Amino acid sequence: MNAIDPRIHQVLDGELAPGALSTELRRSVERLVTAVALLAAPLPLPSLEPRVMALIRRPVPSRARRLLRWLATPRSVTFRVRPVWSLAFAAVVAMLTLVPIGHEGPDIGEHEGIAQFVGRFPGAQSVHVVGSFNDWRPGSIALEDVDQDGLWRATVVLPTGAYEYMFVVDGERWVPDHLAERLVSDEFGRENSIVIVRPARR
Amino acid sequence: MRLWLGLALLAGPLAAQSARARLEGRVPGAAVPALDSLVQQAVAEGLPTEPLIQKALEGGAKQVTAPRIVAAVQLSLGQLRAARDLLIRAGDEPPVTPGEVTTVAWALRRDLPAPVVERVVAALPRPPRASAMHAVADLAAHRFDPDSAADLIIAAIGRGLVRERLLDVSAAAAHELQRGHTHAEALALVRQALPNVPASPKPTRSAVARARRPAAPPP
Amino acid sequence: MDVTGASSDAEVVARVLGGDREAFGLVVRRYEAGLLRFAARMLGSRDAAADAVAESFVRAYRHLASCREPTRLRTWLYRIVANRCKSHLARRPIADVSLDEAPPVADPSDTEVALERAEQLALVRRALVRLSPEKREAFLLKHVEGLSYEEMAAVTGERIPTLKMRVHRAREALLQVLEDHE
Repeated sequence: MNAIDPRIHQVLDGELAPGALSTELRRSVERLVTAVALLAAPLPLPSLEPRVMALIRRPVPSRARRLLRWLATPRSVTFRVRPVWSLAFAAVVAMLTLVPIGHEGPDIGEHEGIAQFVGRFPGAQSVHVVGSFNDWRPGSIALEDVDQDGLWRATVVLPTGAYEYMFVVDGERWVPDHLAERLVSDEFGRENSIVIVRPARR
Repeated sequence: MRLWLGLALLAGPLAAQSARARLEGRVPGAAVPALDSLVQQAVAEGLPTEPLIQKALEGGAKQVTAPRIVAAVQLSLGQLRAARDLLIRAGDEPPVTPGEVTTVAWALRRDLPAPVVERVVAALPRPPRASAMHAVADLAAHRFDPDSAADLIIAAIGRGLVRERLLDVSAAAAHELQRGHTHAEALALVRQALPNVPASPKPTRSAVARARRPAAPPP
Repeated sequence: MDVTGASSDAEVVARVLGGDREAFGLVVRRYEAGLLRFAARMLGSRDAAADAVAESFVRAYRHLASCREPTRLRTWLYRIVANRCKSHLARRPIADVSLDEAPPVADPSDTEVALERAEQLALVRRALVRLSPEKREAFLLKHVEGLSYEEMAAVTGERIPTLKMRVHRAREALLQVLEDHE
């Protein structure tokens, strides 16, 4: 493989203006630029989204899955039931499906939104989020690590607006939210994260 | 009329009283008189007191010493004064609203240059301007030149986008960067797309179902 | 068509980690075009590229909590896809790699220019496949995907001087093929 004139590399790396090259070297640069343009053209491929999302939604094979497969396998079963019991069963099913039992989640007002706080704190015993939305009162909003995987989460209803906050790990360690993109000096030598809560009803 | 005047005169001292009550037990006792005096000054000057109280509570929660809490609150008061002056310079009629003073103070704390903030204030004569200010600051945080960032948000306002939709504009520009475009390309792409930038998705039903209200503070 | 969504990468990552699984679709829509192109150029086959990228997305979803810098999600995804492509190539000798489906067939309505373009592309692809996977990877990341050397270092785990050297060698090899063909 022959080495090419280093000025070609300099132009392609943006270190030298193409005008500084001789006509022949400029042609070499143009050949490579044309090749790149051909390779960079988008490929007419169908979106992978349905395939990826189907794979993600599919649960990881487990004992439960084997049980499910067993349950899904067709088997012949004979029931001898009096019609009155069938009707009673149908009535119970209708009650359960048609009459709402409680409701999911809190009622969210017009000037309220939802903030999700997530942080990785492997080995932590407790994580709280403390900020101007709770008067910087430690302990009022706890994050949970339901899966015991070191990932702590909380989903909170807050009035719309912008707030500064930090995480408090194990009741004493103040840590900014690394997933937050907005940071501001707290004037005490650290940085607060900023969350903007937008109305949930839009 | 007399009643309104009476209520207005009462509002200041009431705010100061409730501030003292909120700070007692939450900040070192030695800091309370100085903090109280700073809150009184804010009241006297028609400035918002909530940012000062929040800063003091934050210092108390972070177990910062009394002198540092007082210094930080003093700094906050200075920021509020600078914000009020900026609003008046940019064309707001005094007395300026406390909400706008808080918004501008925040924009300055997020390192937006004062002339840029003034331009955004002037472009949005009617408050609230919080989303516009955060959108410009978000862009600056992504290393967009603050002037060009303000240009984009002002252009978005010109195309009829308001309030939280302006945050979608800054998010769209940041996203173009993440897709590998340069800052100039990202700004041009989003400007071209205006006002049709993708809207931030609404919270999902599962998020709403999981959401909890913060526990009430102990009495 | 909303292919991008207004949320930043960090916000989307936070939503997914917060339990909103469907938000990951936004990540797929956002980055699949570039990743598919990169994988197809790496592997020389669109089908193999689609498999590699789909598997990479699933892997990224399962390990999203380990993405320490969600603001650099794009770089992290390229790293996963690049690793997948290289392990694919390690299992299959380079000679086995098809040069992409059939050679480009010109549409009857194609002009002469388009035909020449298709031939050029076939030539460039052939030259690309002859490079070692490491050089091909460096060239594609730098010139086709437009990553900086710093981002390339994050994707490949290699030092910047090494990457620059690979890009230079790849340019030299490609240029030789292109000039020989003229």
